[in-house]
Formats: sequence, structure tokens, C-alpha cells
Amino acid sequence: MLTRKGKYGLKALAALAQAGEGQLLGVAEVARANAIPKKFLDAILAELRNAGFVRSRKGKLGGYGLARAADEIMIGHVIRVLDGPLAPIPCASRTRYQPCDDCDVETCQVRHLMLEVRNAIAEVLDKTSLTQLTALGGADALPNIMTA
Amino acid sequence: MSPVGKTITIIGGGASGVLLAAHLLRSDDPDLRVTLIERQGQLGQGLAYSARMRHHRVNVPARGMSAFADSPDHFWRWLQRREPGRHASSFVFVPRRQYGAYLEDVLREAGDRIPGRLRVLSEEVLALNETRVGVETLLGNGTSIASHWAALAVGHETQAARGRGIAVRSGSESDTPLDPDASVMILGSGLSMVDAWISLAEAQHRGPITVVSRNGLLPTGHRDVAPLSIDAADVPFGTSLTYLARWFRDLVRETESQGGDWRSVVDGLRPYNQRLWQSWPQRERRQFLRHVRPWWNVHRHRLPPDLHARLVQAVARGQVTLVAAEFVGIERSETGVRATLRPRGTDERQIMDVARVYDCGGVSVDVRASNNPLVQHLVRTGAAQADSMHIGLDIDDHCALVGADGNVSQRVRVVGPLTRGRFFEIEAVPDIRLQCQALAESILRAE
Repeated sequence: MLTRKGKYGLKALAALAQAGEGQLLGVAEVARANAIPKKFLDAILAELRNAGFVRSRKGKLGGYGLARAADEIMIGHVIRVLDGPLAPIPCASRTRYQPCDDCDVETCQVRHLMLEVRNAIAEVLDKTSLTQLTALGGADALPNIMTA
Repeated sequence: MSPVGKTITIIGGGASGVLLAAHLLRSDDPDLRVTLIERQGQLGQGLAYSARMRHHRVNVPARGMSAFADSPDHFWRWLQRREPGRHASSFVFVPRRQYGAYLEDVLREAGDRIPGRLRVLSEEVLALNETRVGVETLLGNGTSIASHWAALAVGHETQAARGRGIAVRSGSESDTPLDPDASVMILGSGLSMVDAWISLAEAQHRGPITVVSRNGLLPTGHRDVAPLSIDAADVPFGTSLTYLARWFRDLVRETESQGGDWRSVVDGLRPYNQRLWQSWPQRERRQFLRHVRPWWNVHRHRLPPDLHARLVQAVARGQVTLVAAEFVGIERSETGVRATLRPRGTDERQIMDVARVYDCGGVSVDVRASNNPLVQHLVRTGAAQADSMHIGLDIDDHCALVGADGNVSQRVRVVGPLTRGRFFEIEAVPDIRLQCQALAESILRAE
């Protein structure tokens, strides 16, 4: 469910958060450091700016920075903007809902299960801030957030 | 303090206080003791449900007004018992005083379930003093009540009419009979304006009525449509307002293109309004209050359809004129009142001579300017403070009062409209009943 776009967006935000408050980073710099195609990152950062998560300044000393404190940016909120509803499969979204051709939405057990999965995903992602994300350095830090 | 049983003092016997008492008394604990204190002596009739006129109506259909979210047709069944066969469907908007009578019944039934647990006092509360084990509530008669918990349910408060008493509140003592041909001004364009206007219309007022508000908007009307099923996974929490507005407009467009109604989107979003508000940083909240709220209010707080149609007709006939302007000042003149306005988007001053100005500017939200002696006491002693938006009292996520030093009260809780700084969407029964249910459960669970 997390697309490449969502993943790149989160990486870029983490980079901006680590740069510190008030610091601006150039797109090329962030793209290079995180192995993200620069054009794609341009588009992603533009969307994040429209949604109010990052701000930009043009010119030689320009670049992107966080528009608000990292602990006020929730991961689930960012993913909704970049990837749309937090739905594990398309038929589990109600507003951007796309039914499958081959099943009946009311009786499909898979869909009912996926609705549960979706709620569980939102539960984790909406309670995790960008600050918490950046604190997840290595593999051993991961279980903490899952049980938080 | 009684050695056994849990004791709760509720200050304020309007809708919020009655709902909290009713939810507490659903418990089967025989030793529970609830004291409800209302200074005016009439229960269930706070600012909202004390309206005198038949035409002052609830702006939520009967089907949404049950005191209990888990028994959604409780009010509708009460209404059918009260007026058998009168209402064809639960999409009906009853007089507010009738809803006040329902709340009285709810409280009575809650008290009768296990007699001896509910005590109702008609007293003014002057102060609350928190001790290590409970709360002492000081009454106007010089006595005090000790309890384990206290809940502030002091609700809406009207402020004095503007212009040092020159403008009047509709239905107040200074609202004396008018010459039916006199020209009248109403300040505000929300539901209080509608109350003032309907009072004039019912008194066969024929003179021109000028409604002045910053945006010149009129509340919209209800339609019997089901809310859109929206899921939390779909709602763009935490974004800028422009982003949310675009999402909202797209969803409305999509819904309408499929034959749906914008009201379904507004109502479908309602379960998430509190979460949306909480997902915003201060700056977004402030911007919402300043720029979006007037527009949001007219779509969210809608009128009964017949009342709306009547108001729209009055505007079409030219009896009611909507003016987008800022109210600058008011003075007495030889023929009545002279009001000064600044039309929206200009620096000009516009003078209007009218027989009377009704102030329908809504409710007071600044607790530092409260007329309530208890709220004054709490703010003065630092036990309470305004929330960061200055639209109510500062509380935590569990409705615990937060003091000036940031300390969270162990014993004092707040319910109802005064918690709007944290919840925003907490003005109407469908939201307040959920809040009261959650608070009652947490108090009953606590040690």
C-alpha cells in the first residue's frame, strides 16, 4: 500500500527534520542522499508544500524546510496526502473506492478483513510523528513503535 | 465525606449537566451519589432549551437528539409517546422548550432507576477547592459539599448586549413591544438571528429588517439525506486548510455528480471534526476560526427546512436585507438608535437609523470575562485558564481541568461547550452525549 512516492516523501521529510528547524535543504541534495530521482522528488515536495507540511524558498540560498515542528507532523497524515486513503486494497477505501470486477463488496470476506487491517494501519501511522520516525535508526528500534 | 460510594457534584443543570448525570446514573452501583446543582432551578433548560416560543426550534432532527448515543431513538420514542401520531417521521424539528422537557424526563427517570442516588440543588456555586482526596464545592448559601469528583457543566453564557445596553437581546426584558412598521437591525447572522427574526415575524412585524454580519451569509437549510459513509482512513488530517478545502470540494462535487447532496458530505465528516481540529497546529486552528468558521457554520448548523424557506422568502420579498459589514458603534438618536457600520471591504462608514438593534452576536467564549462567579473564581485563583485559542477552558484529552501552572486537575472535569478549545465540535447534543458517556464511564471506572 505504501507506494514509492509515499516512501520517498517520508524519507525526504525525515531528512528535512534531521536538518533541524529553520534549515533549508536543496532538492538535489536530498535526492542524492536518499537515492531519489530529482524530478520525482520535485513533484513530491510540491505536493507536501500544498498540504502545508513543508515550505520552500526560491533562489540561491533556497530549498525546502519543514513548515511545522516535526512532532506535529503525523506519518499517517503525510501518506494520505501522497498515496491517498490508507487502504491496503482499493476496495477498502470509501471515498476513493474502487470495487473489484469479480466480487460482491457486501459479502467479500477478504474486503471485510482488509477494512480491519486498514483501521490497524491508521491506528499506528496516525500516532507516529515525524520525530518518532527519525528516531527509528536501526532495525532494533522498530519493535518499540509497534508496541507503543 | 461519605466513607462509602463514589460521589460526584455536577455544576450546571443545562443539557450538558443533565446528560452527564443521566449517563452516570446508568451505573448499577447502589452507593453512587450524584448532586446536580443548577442556579436557575430549571433543569435541562440552559441557554439552548429555555427558549419560550414554539418557533424557537431545535436545529437537529428528532432522530439525532437522543440523550444516549447507544439508544439513538430514545428521544424519538419519547416524542411519539408525548404526541402520538403527530409526526410522520423522525426528520422533525421540535420546539426547543419541548427538548428541555425531554431532558427533565431523562433526569427524572435516571434518578428513579435506583432511588436515593440523585440530589438536585437550586443554588449558586461560588468556588471549588480541590483537596487531596476530593473537591469541596462552596455554595451561595454559605454551605459546602464534599465529593470525590466535580464536573463543570456551565455551558453557554450570553454576554451583555453591545453598545452599553442600547442594543437589546431578543426575548430579554428590554425587548419591549415594537411598532410593527418600525425599522429594525439585527447584528449577527447565525441561529440567534433566526430566533430574533422569527420572534418578529410571529409578532406580525412588517417593517424592514436589516441583518448585519461580517460575511452577509445566511444559514442553510436541512434536507432529509443520509450522511456519507466516510472513513478515518480517507480523511486528510493535519493538512493545511487549503488542502482540506480542496479535498472537501472535490468530494462534494463527486457526491453531487452521483446525484447526492453536499449535506451528506458535511454530515459524513462530522464524526471526524474533533480529530481534524486536534490534528491542526495552532496556526491552522486560528486560521480556521478567522477565515473558515463563518462559512463552515452556515453549512454545518442548518435550519429546519420550513423555517429556512420562510427566511429565504422574507429576503426575496425584501423585508429582510442582508448586509455584509462590520458593526462599528451605536448611539441613541431622537427616533431610536443610530448604528454605524463599515461595509465589508471598504473603509467607509455607513449610518443607519433604526428603531431598535438586536444583538444576536452569539455566546461569550472568553472565560476571563465570564459572569459566572465560579468561572471567575477558578480563573482568578489559577485553578483554570483559557485554552490557547481563548474560546473556552483549558482541559486535557480526558476533560480534566488544566490550571494556569499547567497542572492537570485530578478531580475536576469539564463537559459541554466550554471544552471547545480542545474539541471544537462540542456544541450540540449528538457530540455532548458522547462526551458525557465517556466521562461518566471513566469516573465510574476510576478508583
